[in-house]
Amino acid sequence: MALSITVNGEQRSLDIEGDTPLLWVLRDELGLKGTKFGCGVGLCGACTVHLNGQPVRSCSTPVASASGGKVTTIEGLAEGGQLHALQDAWIAHGVPQCGYCQSGQLMSAAHLLANNPAPARDDIVAAMTGNLCRCGTYSRIIAAVESVVGTSLGYDAAAAREKS
Amino acid sequence: MAMNRRDFLKVSAGTSGSLMLSLSLPGCSGMPTGYQQESGKWKPDAWLEITDNDEIHFTLARVEMGQGTYTGLTTLIAEELEVDPEAITPRFAPVAPEYRNPLYKLQLTGGSSSIATSWEPLRAAGASARQMLIMAAARVWQVDAAECSARQGRVIHPNGLDSMRYGQLVELASKEVIRGEVALKQASEWKYIGKQRGRLDARAKSTGAAVYGIDVELPGMVYGVISRPPRYGARVKAFNESEVRAMPGVLDVFEIERGVAVVADKYWRARKAQDALKIEWDNTDALSLSTDEVFASYRRAADEDNGESERSEGDYESAARETGKSESGKIVEAEYSQPYLAHSTLEPMNATAWYRNDSIDVWAPTQAPDLGRIAAARVTDLSPSDVTINTTFLGGGFGRRLTQDYIEEAAAVAFRVKKPVKVIWSREEDTQHDLYRPAMLHRMQAGLDGNQLTGWHHQIVGPQLLDWYVRNAAPAQYPWAPKFMYDTLGKVGLLAEGIATPKDMSAIEGAIEYPYNVDNIDIRHTHTDPGVPVTFWRSVGYSHNGFAVETFMDELAHEAGEDPYQFRRKLLAGQPRHLEVLDRVVRIAGWNKPVAEGRGRGIALFKSFGTFVAQVVEAGVENGAIRVYKVACAVDCGQVVNPRIVEDQIEGGIIFGLTAALYGEITFENGQVNQSNFHDYQLMRQYELPEVTVDIVESTEAPTGVGEPGVPPVTPALGNALFALTGKRQRSLPLKADA
Repeated sequence: MALSITVNGEQRSLDIEGDTPLLWVLRDELGLKGTKFGCGVGLCGACTVHLNGQPVRSCSTPVASASGGKVTTIEGLAEGGQLHALQDAWIAHGVPQCGYCQSGQLMSAAHLLANNPAPARDDIVAAMTGNLCRCGTYSRIIAAVESVVGTSLGYDAAAAREKS
Repeated sequence: MAMNRRDFLKVSAGTSGSLMLSLSLPGCSGMPTGYQQESGKWKPDAWLEITDNDEIHFTLARVEMGQGTYTGLTTLIAEELEVDPEAITPRFAPVAPEYRNPLYKLQLTGGSSSIATSWEPLRAAGASARQMLIMAAARVWQVDAAECSARQGRVIHPNGLDSMRYGQLVELASKEVIRGEVALKQASEWKYIGKQRGRLDARAKSTGAAVYGIDVELPGMVYGVISRPPRYGARVKAFNESEVRAMPGVLDVFEIERGVAVVADKYWRARKAQDALKIEWDNTDALSLSTDEVFASYRRAADEDNGESERSEGDYESAARETGKSESGKIVEAEYSQPYLAHSTLEPMNATAWYRNDSIDVWAPTQAPDLGRIAAARVTDLSPSDVTINTTFLGGGFGRRLTQDYIEEAAAVAFRVKKPVKVIWSREEDTQHDLYRPAMLHRMQAGLDGNQLTGWHHQIVGPQLLDWYVRNAAPAQYPWAPKFMYDTLGKVGLLAEGIATPKDMSAIEGAIEYPYNVDNIDIRHTHTDPGVPVTFWRSVGYSHNGFAVETFMDELAHEAGEDPYQFRRKLLAGQPRHLEVLDRVVRIAGWNKPVAEGRGRGIALFKSFGTFVAQVVEAGVENGAIRVYKVACAVDCGQVVNPRIVEDQIEGGIIFGLTAALYGEITFENGQVNQSNFHDYQLMRQYELPEVTVDIVESTEAPTGVGEPGVPPVTPALGNALFALTGKRQRSLPLKADA
């Protein structure tokens, strides 16, 4: 089917089977490899992207259901060459080990901060519990998110754009 | 490692404005080094390259799978080269003898060995390059080289004012000859070792830019998926080829050794076509066992054969007899068991291969590229020298990617389709066609006379990993051997254990290093293999032996009526590094203070990969589930290169071990794996995270491993904590809340 989605602010037209998961469209059709395949059934969160401002598991989101929607991926988290505050925090805290889950972790964290600029630790834990990390970077993730909380940098420009 | 640095350092003349250094490690054949000016191509057997425009490239021979080699090894070079680690660009090494791991004589990353085996040679490489640059500058300035210094990528004139960039000096420096030893910096002069906290790959991994195996993109690439037999060892009998071939986008459907491959223009189309694939399997040679039968077979084997003696001190049998006769004596016995465990790297197995012009290129997240070369040669008409392995970042390794089955598959598919093809495993395939951490059985016995431990007997029952690993490992050690020799080499490797391959320690590691001062020790291995594919898994033998040894020590402490910490402590006289971590963890955990209501504390101490680790776990049971509140950990890994990475590796190991303790279990029924994805093979999640404290002993001893040593003590420490709470001893894993 022919469809169009706006990915990281850019409108993209595609002709593809509508049941193809958004993940494989992003990765293989649009060349955005930052979003990862982990489990295929929405259990690990490695494929998390924002669809119309909401975090979704792109591995189990048929592209047809994203038709006409606005998608933000890890590649779209930075704005005008400026990394998202969370990305800076991830680097400063040395969060990633193997790094494979971190795109999904960052997208979950970015959604949390865009909707709740001052989350308590429990809010952070709850928001991040759907994202598995096999290396065990969990405590660094919490520390990195907390370091952004309460700063104006926590405001998520990408999410603002999705809402606009 | 003591060696004359002159012996392994070779310098090639820089005809190209670039200085190339090549290390020939002891036991490795030297290959010609240099730079091809015509093609401008980097020669792959060099470790360090400095260009005339100050680019510094470092060939990273130990893959980056999260454990931090990308940062740690680069830091070693940077320290001596007098540049910021950030100024160096690491590149993943191609296959070459120079890049073999001297511990294994194979080019593999494992055994928590990267920093330990690179500590001397990489600092020497950096120091030698620095010295040659200084000598070149001194020659230009007509001053004494000893009065020049190097700083931030420049050589500084004795006047302290003038300086030259390394890039300006490379061509001259490449002609310098070092006579004698190059002095390494004193620890007091270090700028990065022990201080560096960042990760050089953090930015790429926080922006989606890091390229993993699954991210490789090639022109005209197609996608392959493989249906493997549900029961290990089954063969394809028939399949509905024409029906599947007619599915949208399907390019080919064919049998390979490991199953049936479906190749399509898009990944999702390959998956949909695979759904339509119906295969009839010939189960003649297929596995048919269930997990219960595995343990029953272990018990039979243990009864029939008390096994090879792996360590014997004093006379356990007589000591046990004496103790048994003594008024105050008793013999304590226990049987422990651990299940098969999957690796669950978050990046599923995958590889991309392109067969063309009598050669094959493979892109893969692999821990052992030289074994990958054998795997690709095996299933094509090529020799290992025609195979190029391009290593990527690894989305987790944990030992899984030491076995090259996924490269073998991709190469077999590429050989047929003659197009670049990426083969991706689903999570279900990754879980069900893994090679597992072996299930093991342990029979423990000890003599206690009063509170004195008079004897220690440990019978380990289960398979050895080299039986499964040697297939590609032995040929990789002899890459010139013709392919028809591969199977023979594999067999010879097993027969001549200790000669063609090292002695297989995988079942007994950690058990034979039993550290407690007991006069009579008898440690044995009953080798039995039920035919379930097994391989290395973050700390392997140490993981199951750690649980058996340190839980049984806890049982003995309770039998002796002693505090489990004090009981261990009094048996560690003359072992200062064990004692130090044990005493420290007791301090940071507040072991001697009362524990909160509804919680128990457990302690364990285990040395693995040269690193001493003691842990105290505080746990309880909440809403019918085990809840881990705190893990305190003291670690002595010798000299620390990057303190934050050490903390992260130890904490990551703790979480890895807790995941196994709480959830880890692969079971079989009629030869088929029951688990498939993260709903029934669970990993610990963010909300379960305990408060972890890692305390690192300051040390000037040579560095040892940190990737794995955090794992072994945490399962016994947790089990011991639950015993302290409930009074019920759990001797098999995973642990249960309602035991």
